[in-house]
Amino acid sequence: MEFFSYFVTHSDLIADSIIRHFLLFLISMAFAIVVGIFLSIVITREGHEKVGQVILSITGASQAVPSVAVIALVFLFIGIGMKPALVALVIYSLVPIVFNATSGILSVDPGVLEAAKGMGLTKSQRLWHIKIPLAMPVIMSGIRSSATINIGTVTVAAIIGAGGLGDIIYTGLKLNRPEMIFIGAGLAAIIAILVDTVLMYVERKVTPKGLA
Amino acid sequence: MIEYRNITKRFGEKIAVNNLNMTLEKGTITMLIGPSGCGKTTSLKMVNRLVDPDEGDILINGESVFDLDPVKLRRSIGYVIQEIGLFPHYSVFDNIATLPRLHNWDEKKIKDRVYEVLDMVTLDESYADKYPSQLSGGERQRVGLARALAADPEVLLMDEPFGAIDPINRLILQQSFLEIQEEIKKTIIFVTHDINEAIQLGDKIAIMNQGSLVQFDTVSEILANPENEFVENLLGHDRNLKALSLKKARDYIKKEGYITVGPDVDKEAIRKELEEKDLVLAYIIDSRGRLKGRYYIDKAARKVDGRYPLVRETRPYHVERTTSLTETLSRMLEYGEKVLPVVSRNGRFRGVIDLDSIFEEVKQAGTAKGA
Repeated sequence: MEFFSYFVTHSDLIADSIIRHFLLFLISMAFAIVVGIFLSIVITREGHEKVGQVILSITGASQAVPSVAVIALVFLFIGIGMKPALVALVIYSLVPIVFNATSGILSVDPGVLEAAKGMGLTKSQRLWHIKIPLAMPVIMSGIRSSATINIGTVTVAAIIGAGGLGDIIYTGLKLNRPEMIFIGAGLAAIIAILVDTVLMYVERKVTPKGLA
Repeated sequence: MIEYRNITKRFGEKIAVNNLNMTLEKGTITMLIGPSGCGKTTSLKMVNRLVDPDEGDILINGESVFDLDPVKLRRSIGYVIQEIGLFPHYSVFDNIATLPRLHNWDEKKIKDRVYEVLDMVTLDESYADKYPSQLSGGERQRVGLARALAADPEVLLMDEPFGAIDPINRLILQQSFLEIQEEIKKTIIFVTHDINEAIQLGDKIAIMNQGSLVQFDTVSEILANPENEFVENLLGHDRNLKALSLKKARDYIKKEGYITVGPDVDKEAIRKELEEKDLVLAYIIDSRGRLKGRYYIDKAARKVDGRYPLVRETRPYHVERTTSLTETLSRMLEYGEKVLPVVSRNGRFRGVIDLDSIFEEVKQAGTAKGA
């Protein structure tokens, strides 16, 4: 009962929170994808595959760092508000993207790359026509798991003033109103499911035919 | 023509290729063979500059490959590696069209050429839309060859292209590869670790060991006169037998030891003629000279009325003029015949080949080695 009455009485606040939550997710993910893919390409350049392997181990281990720790560190060094929150979100979302993109690019069959080089494809043709398309399924699954984690992390970022659905959850905690916690968490979960569904569709679209 | 001049390549302390000098004639297949790490693949990859030597020069038609831009050079050379080299996310069509597209051919010309090379490797047009994962190993290898031929390069580099194929399909691929080469006459360098493949396909064989060229000569010369023990061991104990695979039945045809008869000749007359000449074999030849069957006096059977029976067979075993002596020998063993008729491709009777001629040939090869 309280659950529905809160919805009715605070519909504006909930709508604003959803929009803000989604925007935080969108902006931080956009940065993370661009930066993450770029980094992965740089660290997997031909002749530098060792660097890629090292980064792979580091990012693999970093995935165990809890999001709260990253947010706390950003708070210590940059402060509070929307911008520090975005910084923390980008950093935290980068890890799975870099991990997957790097491992995807490094696991492209060396025979295929050798053939491509021997046939006279240039370095950038090998990257854009061979490596990236072949790594695409792995890159996309990195982006998907990063997106899901990101939406959850946005709620945590509310503690340093990011806003969004996290605010509703924290307020609920302080006022001891469980319905607010349920609403905040439930809506975040719904956003995560919707985003993942969309990304699953995108993944299918960008995965080249022939890669079963 | 490809010339290796004083080529040396080191990987750290190890000398991978040691002062290699070798000239490969235009339109021939040169087989590079030797144990793992002998430098054969390294030598191959220097031609399209996947590996650069520390010393020396490589010339294609008199022009040094080191004066050319590596990317341009590679686009002018066909390159085939084991089946894994196909791009899995490209259809067969797109795989083959890769180089023509890099050369900016127009789409119409690309399409015509893709179907042309597919036909050359005996794959029909329905393969164009398939992906590599939908093909068998042999089909993938054919597509690999088609892709290398697409831009009509003069030189083909092949790095153990049939290595991952099962023995039966490998034989088929080797045979059709030879037929394709008959047509296209490319200058081919072919790395293999299979001596039988080298003998089967090569015009010349270059044998390498520990970075050095041990022997470089025609296949028959290497089989007859191995340079040293290393080459002998590589060729195996049965090298005299292997040499037989290079020889064709047509050069050992005998025109004696049998009689020929028309299809309608009376049995008694045949027996009479055979007994008079002290022979046992009569081949039945039709009016156009084609082999139709044979009569033979079966001396292993029991006598009837004091005479051995005269048996008629309408489909006698035979070999063709181009059948190798190895194949001839194995058919003799299989059929239990010491004499087989030889026919031309259109079935005309040309004479017979007997076991003694093959023994004689093996014996001669054996003595040539000692000489």
